[in-house]
Amino acid sequence: MASLLDASKPRINCSMLSQHIGRGVCFVGRVEKVHPTGKTFSVSDGEGKSATVELNEPLEEELSGIVEVIGMVSSKGVITSTTYNILREDKGIPFDLELYNEALKVIHDFPQYYPFEVAASG
Amino acid sequence: MNVPLTKGAVEALCKGLDVDKPVLQLLNIRQISNASGPPRFRLMMSDGQHSLTSCLLATQLNYLSDENLLVPNCVCLLKKTVNNTLADGRRVVVVMDMDILKSAEEAGGKIGNPTPYNTDGSFTGQAPMKASPMKASPMKASPMKASPMKASPMKASPMKASAIKASPSKGLTVKVSPMKASPMKANSASPGSSAKVIPIASLNPYQSKWTIRARVTNKSSIRTWSNSRGEGKLFSFEIVDESGEIRITAFNKEVDKFFSLVEQGKVYYISKATLKPANKQYTTLKNDYEMTLHAHSSIVPCDDNQSIPTVHCDFVPIAELENRDKDAIIDVIGICKSAEDVSRITTKNSREVSKRALSIIDQTGKVVTVTLWGEEAENFDGSTQPVVAIKGARLSDFGGRSLSALFSSTVMVNPDIPQAFRLRAWYDREGFAINSQSLTETRSAGTGLNVNWKTLSDIKNEDMGHGEKAQYFSCVATVLYIRKENCLYQACPSADCNKKVIDQQNGLYRCEKCNREFPNFKYRLLLSANLADFGDNQWVTCFQETAEALLGHSAETLGHLRDTDEAAFDEVFQKANFTTHIFKNRVKLETYNDESRVKVTVMEVQPVDHREYSRRLLQNIYKLAR
Repeated sequence: MASLLDASKPRINCSMLSQHIGRGVCFVGRVEKVHPTGKTFSVSDGEGKSATVELNEPLEEELSGIVEVIGMVSSKGVITSTTYNILREDKGIPFDLELYNEALKVIHDFPQYYPFEVAASG
Repeated sequence: MNVPLTKGAVEALCKGLDVDKPVLQLLNIRQISNASGPPRFRLMMSDGQHSLTSCLLATQLNYLSDENLLVPNCVCLLKKTVNNTLADGRRVVVVMDMDILKSAEEAGGKIGNPTPYNTDGSFTGQAPMKASPMKASPMKASPMKASPMKASPMKASPMKASAIKASPSKGLTVKVSPMKASPMKANSASPGSSAKVIPIASLNPYQSKWTIRARVTNKSSIRTWSNSRGEGKLFSFEIVDESGEIRITAFNKEVDKFFSLVEQGKVYYISKATLKPANKQYTTLKNDYEMTLHAHSSIVPCDDNQSIPTVHCDFVPIAELENRDKDAIIDVIGICKSAEDVSRITTKNSREVSKRALSIIDQTGKVVTVTLWGEEAENFDGSTQPVVAIKGARLSDFGGRSLSALFSSTVMVNPDIPQAFRLRAWYDREGFAINSQSLTETRSAGTGLNVNWKTLSDIKNEDMGHGEKAQYFSCVATVLYIRKENCLYQACPSADCNKKVIDQQNGLYRCEKCNREFPNFKYRLLLSANLADFGDNQWVTCFQETAEALLGHSAETLGHLRDTDEAAFDEVFQKANFTTHIFKNRVKLETYNDESRVKVTVMEVQPVDHREYSRRLLQNIYKLAR
């Protein structure tokens, strides 16, 4: 889904999933449980709520800590992931998920000051 | 018609007994010249049997004399008197309030044949009374008038001992009584007998026999001091009764005597202590005086304490602390949300002290940090989120607003007062969940001052640095460019001297400040850099320390690099470009040869703490969003 990577991918948390069904999103959360098949896993956001991520290919590595998942939200509220990044905890400053959540709320409360859509399409 | 005089009144007054509204005849009135303050009048009163000369008119009644109402032979009703005993044992009656019943004409002359009832040395009608410790005989009128001393203090001698410049009079040994200028300040009830309790509000240095009954509201710990004059220890406590409060201090021996006896919250009878004007620097109580205990002071526990109010606290809501001035002494009460661990720090005087910071919240939803010191810090347990009340804490602008417990403050944990219960109930219901805003901002590492965050555009917009004093501010900015030319200079190699040396061209370098020549120099950095943020850019100067932090190399290394590997030298400067840091700056308008320019100097460079920065930005956004 190359087109997905070109479109804008707003950052969201679990509460915003329902508003982005059928759209590409970027979700940052802490890995909770990984399904034994390795094709799906659950993540929790800064507010503590959980969402499920589905992968095209099963995981080849151990997944833990905080990840950034880019994908599309299905009608069932599951994120179909095209790619993901692991935010490594051993490097740099530890990621503050709660603070990230606060920032996310601000971005969504004041979209007029955060015109990501315009930037992406240009 | 003759109004009968109250017989026996003079005798009673002389014996120190209270007489209820005696009617006396004024035999004589004389003005005592007062070195400072209003004139005082001395009265000679008679009850038909005896006459009393040691009578003073309270200054508020001076008008009676000014209006010629007090004429010898008039008959007066003494409505209120105060009986005082001087240090040497003599009694003086001060008339606080009197009515003239009959004028002199109506009285028609001296009633009865009063004889002087004076227990204190000779009385001669006209001559001024002499203080008894003085040898009466050599001291008649003459030395008084002849002596180069100011005559007035001598006449008023018993009362004015302090004004007397001692020596010139021969054989004069005046015991300086504790009474200073005007002994009888218009003050309240007579402590005629020591068992009678007087209100705290009426305490003054001119009464020596009094007893008060009050509750200890605030007791400090023992503090020792050591200065050029010696050492000692002290403790102080504050007491309250229905009329007011006063502070009491005990030094050295009295500390040993009274420290364990005095307990906070208990009521005591206190008598025989020295009163003196309050040193407002150490107390905020509303009393003009304060008390010092001495060897004869007595403190006796009292069981009857229903009428004495408990701790007198004037709690300020935390949200209001922002409106109070820095260094104000405040009472505050709140729930201790969290407490840090106790830490030991070394003060400027190289003393080690324990301290602990607590966060307290109250119904206003605001939080403030309170710092406890010493034993209080060590013993404090914040684990149960107790109600903490502090009386007499100092408000400072450290980190915005914060409170510090002083030596004289009292810290009460879960005190037994209604506000405490209300707080507890509020907190358990809703308070614990509030996402409160602290008035004390999280202290960024190292800086102890209130961090003044600005953006670079603020410098011009707010005309920063234009005042008399330099202004300090912090900002987050990115380095755009650093000038490579003239970034290094040759400085004097002596320690602490950074003056530029002059190259003598003979292998020697001369420093004008040290007035010496050296065969070497040390390289020092002096950078001119351009910083920018979203709003504006600004040229700043960085000296050695901040320059080295920015470039990541020492001045020596750079000096060497410049002479050897120019490419590498350039590289250092390139790498510094577009790095973002927290800059603490000093800005000032400077005039140089008729030209004024705003100059900005970097005092400190710190890496950006993104989490702290983000939180600050979020807070600013929330504030703006309201």
